[in-house]
Amino acid sequence: MEAASKKRRSPTRVNPALYLFPLPAVAIIAVFLVMPTLQAFQYAITDWNGFSAAFNYVGVDNFVRAFTKDSLFTNALTNNLKFVLLVVIAQTLFSLLLALLLTKNSRGNVVLRALFFFPTILSSVSVAFIWKFIYDPNFGLANSALGAIGLEGLQGSYLGNNSQALYWVAVTQVWFHAGQMMVVYIAGLQAIPRELYEAAEMDGANKWQQFKSITWPFVAPATSIVVAYTTVQSFKAFDLILGIAGNPPKGSLDILSTRIYSTFANSEFGYAAAQSIIFMGMIALVTWLQRRLLRLTPKGE
Amino acid sequence: MSQISRRQAMAVLGALGLGATAAACAGPGGSTAPGGATGPSAPATGAITGRVSFAHWRGEDKAVFDELIKRFAAKNAGVEVAQDISTSNDYNAQGLQKVRGAAIGDAFATFRGAQFNNFSEAGIYTELKNSKAVGNYQKGLLTAGQSGDSQLGLPYQVVFPMPMANMDLFDKAGAELAPKDWDAFLGMCEKLAASGVVPISWPGGDVGNGGQLFNCMIANNAPVDDMCAQIEQGKLKCTDDWFIRMLNQYKDLVPYLQPNATGTAVEPAQNLFSQGKAAMLATGSYHIAAVRNLGATFPIELVFPNTSTDGNAKYEGAYNATFILGVNSASKNQAAAAAWIDFLSEPANAGYYANQTAQHVSVKDVEYTNSDLKRLSPWLDKKTALAARFQFQNLDVRNAVEASATAVISGTSPEQAAEAAQKIVDERL
Repeated sequence: MEAASKKRRSPTRVNPALYLFPLPAVAIIAVFLVMPTLQAFQYAITDWNGFSAAFNYVGVDNFVRAFTKDSLFTNALTNNLKFVLLVVIAQTLFSLLLALLLTKNSRGNVVLRALFFFPTILSSVSVAFIWKFIYDPNFGLANSALGAIGLEGLQGSYLGNNSQALYWVAVTQVWFHAGQMMVVYIAGLQAIPRELYEAAEMDGANKWQQFKSITWPFVAPATSIVVAYTTVQSFKAFDLILGIAGNPPKGSLDILSTRIYSTFANSEFGYAAAQSIIFMGMIALVTWLQRRLLRLTPKGE
Repeated sequence: MSQISRRQAMAVLGALGLGATAAACAGPGGSTAPGGATGPSAPATGAITGRVSFAHWRGEDKAVFDELIKRFAAKNAGVEVAQDISTSNDYNAQGLQKVRGAAIGDAFATFRGAQFNNFSEAGIYTELKNSKAVGNYQKGLLTAGQSGDSQLGLPYQVVFPMPMANMDLFDKAGAELAPKDWDAFLGMCEKLAASGVVPISWPGGDVGNGGQLFNCMIANNAPVDDMCAQIEQGKLKCTDDWFIRMLNQYKDLVPYLQPNATGTAVEPAQNLFSQGKAAMLATGSYHIAAVRNLGATFPIELVFPNTSTDGNAKYEGAYNATFILGVNSASKNQAAAAAWIDFLSEPANAGYYANQTAQHVSVKDVEYTNSDLKRLSPWLDKKTALAARFQFQNLDVRNAVEASATAVISGTSPEQAAEAAQKIVDERL
């Protein structure tokens, strides 16, 4: 019986000194990740203003307020979901198209790949300022180019137009990151054995059939990565939005991360913490959903 | 060393985790109270030595402050002043957090309005009522730095948030420079438009700068001087007649603004004005230096969009007293920090700052040698309203109320724009 008890209590005995090795990492994670996260949860149920010693515990009031009494938050949430949807669809299709066009390792393609990848190495603040000036209605490249080819009628206010502003920022976001996603797709495409295409051609399959039956099954896992990455990236497009639209961004460009920033700046730490937790939950939920819905793995895996 | 089981190790790590959780659950305010802040008592006295951190957001004034620091150090051996500069956006959002523990900001500046009030409530300021510096200021301009009976901060700059005018273009168009009422102002715009220039360059895409016009538009429309505070408190509403009238006046401006004004950032708006394509830049006198740096050589004046309808306006302009200087109550070197503020407040040094940065100051007896400041100095004696938008304590409310004007410019009806703004105000009440 004693032997049985011993077996239950300690199936494996190890030198305790071994447990000292992960301690620095555990300490760092505890101090810089776990504690701030726990603190955020605690602040979220208070009305703390960020600097006063006085605060009250308000339970779930901050969470209820976000969804029922704060149209700025629900507007930011709607904008963010719209932005994510736009960017995920556009960026996935565009980067796949680029990858398909530039898969072959010719000299011209290498140069083009470098050109499309180039925006990725820029800082988001630089990208924001470049595009802010492209979109400027008076001196901007977009209107100047349209004017130069006689299309004055198409010139616009871009970021000044509430119904269009989000789309124009989405264009910038796609320009910024499509090159990076193109590289993911090219890696997937180059792993496809050439023999499969040769066999398909011999069997008389056209390009679309080759794409549907060979290319897509092989790049589907890459799509899963691209969609997940783009989703998270679009949710957190804070620096690009702030740089391109100013601080605070106007209502049509306010997304969750910029709204949270504004709430912190407005000395509503408790409420901002609650918004951050909702934001974290949103990203987790959307990522989980898209992983559930997009089971893009090749057959057999 | 005896061996322990995996279960025992997990128990130890679990205990550590619970400890971290308990530590995290300390009261939010408790562990972060400003170190040593004791509220408004006079700065400590003592030797003027050691390192003083001067926290502010005016990166464009760095060279001028560097020169003033040299002069200060020459007078006080052993003292060193370091500028800790953030961007204005960051300073607005995080200034309090940065300064509260006095890791930076033995001496510091604040924006007028919400930021000044937050710093006051947090007990960051010392009492400067009996300081050497306070006697150097024009009494009427010190109110923005007061809290009750205390003089916590010294508003250093006097800016005029009114449209700047290119006098050459005004002369060429034969346009009136000081319209007495709204019709006269629109008539002036009409003449400028007829002369082939954009009457007003307005950076509607930049919330901070585009919002300055609001100070002029609301000054003579509102029934009381603390109109923005009353909107925030729910005593006045954006849907009131006077507010709708103001929004209708914004609508009147549409033909006189540059095309697509709501999408224009501040730099392009400055360029339109600097290049002589626009007769006015609707930001404020604080942009004179920037406009000169862009190559503008024409004489610059200020124009007040006078919204009165009968010519009997209460105010003939708008001003703001800002860049409020203070000494940190948590500072370990208050004596030197206070001496630095005293030094900046001496007329000769304030004059150097003013003339080099093309900004008026609220210090008395300053000699303005900068030609723009000399020309605009009469505005210091006019009946001007203290910029109203800084009465808002809640930035969401301020942005929503100002956004109603932008919405009108982009085509929304004044009534709809007012209702949308009031909805946000109601949510924040």
